[in-house]
Amino acid sequence: MSGNNLVLPIVLWGRTAPTHCISSLLVLDDCSAVITGCHDGQICLWDMTPELQVPPRAMLFGHTSSITCLAKANACTDKQYIVSASENGEMCLWDVNDGRCIEFSKLACAHTDIQFYQFTIGTQREGRLLCNGHYPEVLVLDASSLEVLYSLVSKISPDWISAMSIIRSHRTQEDTVVAVSVTGILKVWIITAEVSRMQDLDPVFEEESKPIQCQNCQSISFCHFTQNSLLVVCSKYWRVFDAGDYSLLCSVPSEADQGWTGGDFISADKVIVWTEDGCSYIYKLPPSCLSASEHFRSDVGKTREGAVPPLIYKIADQPDKKLLICPPVTRFFFSRREPFHKLLIQGDSEGRLSMWNVPDSTPLPVSCTLSLQESFDGLMPVSSGIIDQLSAQPGKEQPIKVTASVYIPAQGRLVCGREDGSIILVPATQTAIVQLLQGEHMLRRGWPPHRTLRGHRNKVTCVLYPYQVSPRYDQRALVSGGVDFSVIVWDIFTGEMKHIFCVHGGEITQLLVPPENCSTRVQHCVCSVASDHSVGLLSLKERKCIMLASRHLFPIQVIKWRPADDYLVVGCSDGSVYVWQMDTGTPYLNLLCVLYYVLQGNLPKYSHNALVVQAMKTNVSDPDMHVLFFDVEAVIIQLLTEEAQRPNPTLVSPRACTRIFKQVKETMKETIKEHLLDDDEEEEEEQRRREEKSKSLSLLEYNLTMDTAKLFMSCLHAWGLNQQLDLICLERLGMLRPHCPISFGLISRGGHMSLMLPTFKESLLRKLSVATGRKLTLSDIVGKGTYGLSRAVTTQHLLSVISLANTLMGMTNATFVGEHMKKAPTRPPRPGGTPESPRRGSSAPQSSPPPQAHIKQGLAFPVSTLFCVEGWSQLAAMHCVMLPDLLGLDKYRPPLLEMLARRWQDRCLEVREAAQALLLAELRRIGVSGRKDTIDLWAPYLPQYVDTVSSRESPTKVKCVNIVNGVNFLILINPYEHLEEASWCFMSSRLSL
Amino acid sequence: MSSASQVERAVLEEEFNWLLREEVHSVLKQLQDVLKEASRRFAMPSPGLESQLKQENFILGSEGVLTLQGEALTQADINLKMAKSSQVLHFQFRDDKHWKLQQIQDARNHVNQALHLLNCRDDSYHFKTGAEVNKLMDAVMLQLTRARNRLTTPASLTLPSSPPSADAGDVMVNFYINLSKLCLTVYQLHVLPPNTTKNFKPAGSSVLHNPGAMFELNNNRFEVSHVHKVECVLPWLSDTLVFFTISLQPASSSKTR
Repeated sequence: MSGNNLVLPIVLWGRTAPTHCISSLLVLDDCSAVITGCHDGQICLWDMTPELQVPPRAMLFGHTSSITCLAKANACTDKQYIVSASENGEMCLWDVNDGRCIEFSKLACAHTDIQFYQFTIGTQREGRLLCNGHYPEVLVLDASSLEVLYSLVSKISPDWISAMSIIRSHRTQEDTVVAVSVTGILKVWIITAEVSRMQDLDPVFEEESKPIQCQNCQSISFCHFTQNSLLVVCSKYWRVFDAGDYSLLCSVPSEADQGWTGGDFISADKVIVWTEDGCSYIYKLPPSCLSASEHFRSDVGKTREGAVPPLIYKIADQPDKKLLICPPVTRFFFSRREPFHKLLIQGDSEGRLSMWNVPDSTPLPVSCTLSLQESFDGLMPVSSGIIDQLSAQPGKEQPIKVTASVYIPAQGRLVCGREDGSIILVPATQTAIVQLLQGEHMLRRGWPPHRTLRGHRNKVTCVLYPYQVSPRYDQRALVSGGVDFSVIVWDIFTGEMKHIFCVHGGEITQLLVPPENCSTRVQHCVCSVASDHSVGLLSLKERKCIMLASRHLFPIQVIKWRPADDYLVVGCSDGSVYVWQMDTGTPYLNLLCVLYYVLQGNLPKYSHNALVVQAMKTNVSDPDMHVLFFDVEAVIIQLLTEEAQRPNPTLVSPRACTRIFKQVKETMKETIKEHLLDDDEEEEEEQRRREEKSKSLSLLEYNLTMDTAKLFMSCLHAWGLNQQLDLICLERLGMLRPHCPISFGLISRGGHMSLMLPTFKESLLRKLSVATGRKLTLSDIVGKGTYGLSRAVTTQHLLSVISLANTLMGMTNATFVGEHMKKAPTRPPRPGGTPESPRRGSSAPQSSPPPQAHIKQGLAFPVSTLFCVEGWSQLAAMHCVMLPDLLGLDKYRPPLLEMLARRWQDRCLEVREAAQALLLAELRRIGVSGRKDTIDLWAPYLPQYVDTVSSRESPTKVKCVNIVNGVNFLILINPYEHLEEASWCFMSSRLSL
Repeated sequence: MSSASQVERAVLEEEFNWLLREEVHSVLKQLQDVLKEASRRFAMPSPGLESQLKQENFILGSEGVLTLQGEALTQADINLKMAKSSQVLHFQFRDDKHWKLQQIQDARNHVNQALHLLNCRDDSYHFKTGAEVNKLMDAVMLQLTRARNRLTTPASLTLPSSPPSADAGDVMVNFYINLSKLCLTVYQLHVLPPNTTKNFKPAGSSVLHNPGAMFELNNNRFEVSHVHKVECVLPWLSDTLVFFTISLQPASSSKTR
């Protein structure tokens, strides 16, 4: 789905940072970023600056349950990949730079730890991931495809592996995996080149298996300084072992009621061990543990329990920290490159990262501590939510939180239920424009026009517009549920409260629509789920509850339907399933079985709407944040459809007149129509009338498509590079400048998505300031800044902006001037006039007749049209070819050639043309040497390319493109190839022919 | 009016604190006891002392006897009457080969993890927020559901991946746990001619394959001709399952409070 459509997300986070209860943590080798995974399944990328500041940059969505571990997944430095695994067995490979999901897979088993290992076979290096978890083996996975290659198996008492470490010893020239099983047995496997070459599924058995009495093992680490010892941390003690023969060197118990949760060596003679409440202790190892000492191994065989080595210092929690709801995650990181940081990093349930520089002797205060919420609070201007301007509370800083929302694409309206019990109906594009863009709307209070529904006494927990799911429902009915146990039915057009259902004894948690083939009675019901473990079928037609099923012992998680048998299937959180007869409400079956976990509607659903506003929350307790998904193809189609619906310019003039008359003089419409309409017009008129009818019921009338395009183009344009063009954009094309850099997102494989946090601008600013050597302000990077983020983002944005500009260029007098605020007259402060007439008047110039008609009239209109065409073409040209020069290479991340090549045959003509133009521009820009590099890079993936070229029957398409500076390029695109990047290659004609 | 609500508020707060201080711990204690009981059923081998584990014999219908030691089947003495021919098939494990029931081990580990979580929060620990209790309960319940699911849903197998039998070439066996029952399925196979024109459809993965299921192994094609299934109840496992259900109950009700 995401692979084909060009869909761009823009996110409005609101002021409350998403819940991020950290469950795992990773520091990149080059200290450029910290990555955290949380219990709700999101991953947060925090940039790390040389001054050890950690502004959060982006959040990655895709996992559906708690993240259990994170690991790096490649060795080279130009690309940074990480792998994440979650509780339910999902694994995902991400590109840290742009948040793209490269690969994902799902296994039946859950990993609790992953380690990256690079095999060297001759000159070839291959990345492997060694995983352990809720299974008795160590699985070895390919680090790029995530396929299981083979496993390390125990012959003697196989059991789950609690902790594992890879040891590269210079002494033995052998790489070994040392692991401790849950029963406390130390296992050693040798992973040498021979093993790595073995591609079949033969297991590898352990070399050594030794009981070391380490129950509840938390971590095992190898001393990289001496290469002589191992630290094994268990919850009640930590032990040091000889790395050669695994004999016990020392054992230290934990403090009274504290459990250790991990530890590492910080130097040859010191270890750091941390507890579950977040304190860390640094101990000096006794001489018997130090290989440099003459007493080394002097205690073997007679180790005393309970002898505590000298504690050098303790790193404790900050006292003012908020209460934590679960133990924090602590990691020690030792960078092997400049500036050789020794860092202790901790992530906690508040979404806070704390970092300490660990010196050898004296303790230091915390170097840095920052929670997501703090980083949100520090933003200037604050991160906006979708209807913040309508939710301001007098005397309070925080706006009223949106707790549930639904977007109605057909009407372009967003319905937001809020924590105070009110529901706001507002046009989505208009409110998004207010939040994102500057313009005259900033001067108006209460803009955009909206409607408030009041009825719930407390927080609204869910809203549903049943007509959107199935047309069998009344178009007017909007249903909402709240924490006040009630379900309210509203008339969406009049704002009237139609009915209140009070059948549940708990907060309403879900509202659902039964499927199509239910009985007629049930078809007019909505299904409500409440926190008292009850399910109701509420008939909107009969205005009564026709079934209430309430005998469930556990919270209800999921509702399924068996319409043919009239069954309602209720899945509870303990895995039990209840089957109810819908019409009679009798329990039919109660069985114990496993449920497939069903997503709680968190991931975006795509439809063919130009704009979809999706409410998301990372945790049920969070307020909604809203993601605007722009489908570029759909925007283009809608623009073209509207263009096609305009009157045909070759028609005779009376009809053109009709239209003008219609626009200006609403009252005369009927008479003129009677006299002048023909069949064609009738049809159009019919549609108009239908629109009119539905519109008159709605809040306000505006051109949804143009508004969407306007919002989108304004967000994408690289503002501030060309003063003249900016002026044209503002004045002629009617675009608006964003308030501040916009948080975009990137959708990658399988619906995985990365969303930039509002704080991304901080790190971007810092990066660009360093690159340009001067201090930049936020307004310096509005618009153009996004082109310096990542190559994938640039590609998507350039494709969108160019294809849309080209579409608009081909349209009649396409300008957004006047689009905006055109409904203003119906609201104060511009009084007077009936609601109808001024609107008509103001809309007239914008939907003005086609050029030919103007030429006939011989007036200035065509000039404006020409200006528009020129404006759009300048806009397209700037983004297509001038951007790298204007921005400067240090601030520009060029588009990815492979992504452009994949769009070469996009089914949408405009996108295809934009991709082709961009690809050629980029090929021209990188010059001969750049093209040569590209060919060299991709050549190995198409070994038989000469054959492919010669055989005409093969599915490979051959395109010959003449690049101006004399090098012919053949571009091969194989449409049948699934592989994302191996499927294409550029070849200079000199190389191939 | 406002003072009344203030008093009410104070009372509620007091009650909540009591809940955190006393009630939660009593629930946790209760839960811990149940789980300890459950965990005790899983004989945990201490390293090096595996052979001292209690051996349990189970009568498998009228067909024979199985010996379970911890999580591994160590001995078998089973006689199965083959269909058609009156031949009796006799099964035994080789002395050095055990059949490990991964389901039992996994369930045991999940229970122990839940227990470990509870042990970290004993009476001396003072809960500060309700959210903290919720989080702990979530974690404990997750482990318990996992444990139960491991026992209630045996892993489905594709035929070639089901462990091959020791001696007889045309017989495959599989042992697994389903709820509290220990099940043994024996597949009698017959080899399909290699270039058979009969439409060959390899069977997918399933816990139990029916006669007629086909598969390919080492370039040979087989068809299942007969399936024998025998099972017996492991009493301690049914106890454990009951414990799981019992323990999920207070866990979830304490959460809702």
